[in-house]
Amino acid sequence: MKQYVIIGNSAAGISAAEAIRKNDVAAKILIFSDEDYPAYCRCLISYYLAGDVKEEKILYRPEDFYRENNIELFLNKKVARIDPKKSRITLEDKTQVSYDTLLIATGASPKLPETKGIKKRGVFGLRTIKDAKEISGLLPITKAACVLGGGLVGLKAAYALKKRNVGVKVVIKSRQVLSQMLDSEAAGFVQKRLEENGIEFILGEDVAEIIGNGDIKAIKLGSGKAFETSLVVVGKGVTPNMDPIKETEIKFNEGIITNNLLQANIANIYAAGDCAESFDLTLGGLCVNALWPVAVEQGRVAGANIAGGNLNYAGSLGMNSIEFFGLPAVSLGIYKVKDGEAGFEELKLHDTKANLYKKIILKDNFAVGAILVGDIKNSGVLLRLIRERIEVSSFKDKLLRENFGYPDIMALVKDKEHLYV
Amino acid sequence: MKQLYYDVKKCLGCKSCEIACAVAHSLTGDLFKAFKEEVLSLPRKKVLASKDKNYPVSCRHCKDPVCVDACMAAALVYDKEKGMVLHDDKRCVGCWMCVMVCPYGAIRPNIKTKLPLRCDKCKDKDEPSCVKACPTGAIIWQEELSLKV
Repeated sequence: MKQYVIIGNSAAGISAAEAIRKNDVAAKILIFSDEDYPAYCRCLISYYLAGDVKEEKILYRPEDFYRENNIELFLNKKVARIDPKKSRITLEDKTQVSYDTLLIATGASPKLPETKGIKKRGVFGLRTIKDAKEISGLLPITKAACVLGGGLVGLKAAYALKKRNVGVKVVIKSRQVLSQMLDSEAAGFVQKRLEENGIEFILGEDVAEIIGNGDIKAIKLGSGKAFETSLVVVGKGVTPNMDPIKETEIKFNEGIITNNLLQANIANIYAAGDCAESFDLTLGGLCVNALWPVAVEQGRVAGANIAGGNLNYAGSLGMNSIEFFGLPAVSLGIYKVKDGEAGFEELKLHDTKANLYKKIILKDNFAVGAILVGDIKNSGVLLRLIRERIEVSSFKDKLLRENFGYPDIMALVKDKEHLYV
Repeated sequence: MKQLYYDVKKCLGCKSCEIACAVAHSLTGDLFKAFKEEVLSLPRKKVLASKDKNYPVSCRHCKDPVCVDACMAAALVYDKEKGMVLHDDKRCVGCWMCVMVCPYGAIRPNIKTKLPLRCDKCKDKDEPSCVKACPTGAIIWQEELSLKV
């Protein structure tokens, strides 16, 4: 009987465990988590903080999931080290556990800038249910909060705080919100919608210092300006959790380097989710796409391969979907052509009054990316054009139109159509 | 498992199926009353024209549903016994990840209700409402794999 060890109990870890169990009913599956909570919907913690989602709705799987699937879950157990030569892991409490095959799904942690005062009490990331609960506990005594960073987590935090009647200022180093998923035009729509709903933005400024003796009192900006705040949420992206592999022969750049089977450079070690670097379909090289859907898919592929399968992982691409106050926005693949880069073509529609913005980026008549704001209904079809590398010249003039859809690409997709006869 | 098939040669693009769908999923289930409901019921099926033919597009209940993978709220699940992708409205937060990844563009966002518009094969009814509503018999409701073309 094989013993499979999974480090990490979120999207990638759970979907891998399910895939292993599907292919091997007898194997021992052990999951180690450094958190104190069964698998939960990590992306919902901002909704939980906002009060939109109750705690009982946050569990990712039913309570009896681990028992039903005969999975041993170890909570509050941080893995200190992996020893690939001996095929075993060592926990922080010195316990050693051996494995036949290991999945590293350690996820990522919020990046903290080296700002003066960043370690003070009252400065939070928003990554775990524990973070959300701690922030939530402070809100009754919080009048003004500050969010550092205008990425997805930063904006979701700002939304949640505002929803809980706390004044929010978002300080963003760049000149726009969501600079990792939208161009400045699209970002303008989102920012406006958030501002209309009472969230303040300070763009093009960095925080110089978090001021306070014990509790936080204020934020000082690089320009010298300062304002009162008693709570700071940092949303400046995440970095893969590489601690247990740093001193090992497992290869990593930003994340663990994987092959098309999601295997690391050591045969009985796999990696999936926010800690893994895998092939990116639009960039044509390895990168970390720290996204829930990507983690689930990678977990499933890695899990199947761990259980003896031979599933090829086609690759991922950067994509995201958001909605704030009734304005949806989707970003797919390459969302911005860098200045001076040749060979790209942009199809664009911008209607400020209708809150509508669509942009599709083509290269040699292949779609490589898109941004949709206001009307996102065709994003899945566009994603398919990108993923399957479908040549668009025969329907290019229709791409931005209201009635564009799957029937237009039906004859060109990989799977044979079988519903229309 | 019954599935919806479409005889494209017969589809006139009249959109009777869209209307029937919206009515079937309204609170009152009646066309004229449905218009007066506080939140207008929207169709889960859309007829799209391409190269002189019309194609009704709706959720296919894929066996390897990418929308289920993408659902960060675990609101979407694949029910093997029913052969259907089921959606738990109470868990959904309206993040539109499912819309973003559906390879058929068959899930659309309902911004008002914050819930995705997705065919549920009219759940408990004998057959989906669109089947009855189609005046030309272009929508076929029958067991999977048994279709002889």
